[in-house]
Amino acid sequence: MPAELYLENVNVGDEMPVLTKEPITELQLVKYAGGSGDFNPIHTIDAIGKKAGFGGVIAHGMLVMGFMGQAITNWVPNKYLKKFKTRFVAVTKPQDIITVSGKVIKKEEDLITCEIMAKDQKGEIKTTGQFEFTLPKKS
Amino acid sequence: MGDLQEKLGLEFPAYKFVVEQGKIREFAQAVGDSNPVYVNSEAAIKEGYQNVIAPPTFGVCIEMWGGPGFESLMKELGVNAVRILHAEEEFEYFKEINPGDEITATTRVSNIFRKEGKAGAMNFVTLETTHTNQRAEKVSISRMMIVERL
Repeated sequence: MPAELYLENVNVGDEMPVLTKEPITELQLVKYAGGSGDFNPIHTIDAIGKKAGFGGVIAHGMLVMGFMGQAITNWVPNKYLKKFKTRFVAVTKPQDIITVSGKVIKKEEDLITCEIMAKDQKGEIKTTGQFEFTLPKKS
Repeated sequence: MGDLQEKLGLEFPAYKFVVEQGKIREFAQAVGDSNPVYVNSEAAIKEGYQNVIAPPTFGVCIEMWGGPGFESLMKELGVNAVRILHAEEEFEYFKEINPGDEITATTRVSNIFRKEGKAGAMNFVTLETTHTNQRAEKVSISRMMIVERL
């Protein structure tokens, strides 16, 4: 449950709480395929991932974006989130451990903009992005 | 892809997607997100929502389960689905999505261009989908940018 956040308490340069996920498993990719409806076999059938030159299955980009969404809403309640965008930079594979971090880069009136990224255990950037949200005033 | 610019503004037939509470739970569990607002209506109401809500990336579920399917979209666009990469995704949020909502989704080609890179030419296509609920309220917009390696 996110702690109560107010506009006055969030400022440029502030870092969002870091989220480190459990290692991605093949089973999680199967679950995400069913959950999301994205049945591209490159995410679930090893032979297809090998044929595509990845050495095996790769994670759905949207799963990593889902991790980032989790990190955001652990901090900022969903109702305040206005915009969230990501750019998929590198592929993510089973056994990768994704860490999501970000910080406030802009604050204009009641609109706050943050940059966000997802990295693996080796520090490789998988996904970058930005999100915007509003917050209520304390006073 | 044939004539790129011809596809700009192309609109696909609208479709409906009924949001089920079990689908929201399944989606959140797949991500590994244990936020109670996705599964527990009391917790969600306490946080100021009308009921359980959908997670921020739930739009993918609306489009993949409710839509015509990625392959048929690509066929319509004249894009080779096996040469596709998901480059960018963007969501805009206006209203919460709750179980029982009947979402109408309309997708159009909002941007399309070709870029010549070191690795060869690539086509960039942005598909913008607007989600409207049963009260005719716009709840969210998603923009998916895909790249076709030529």
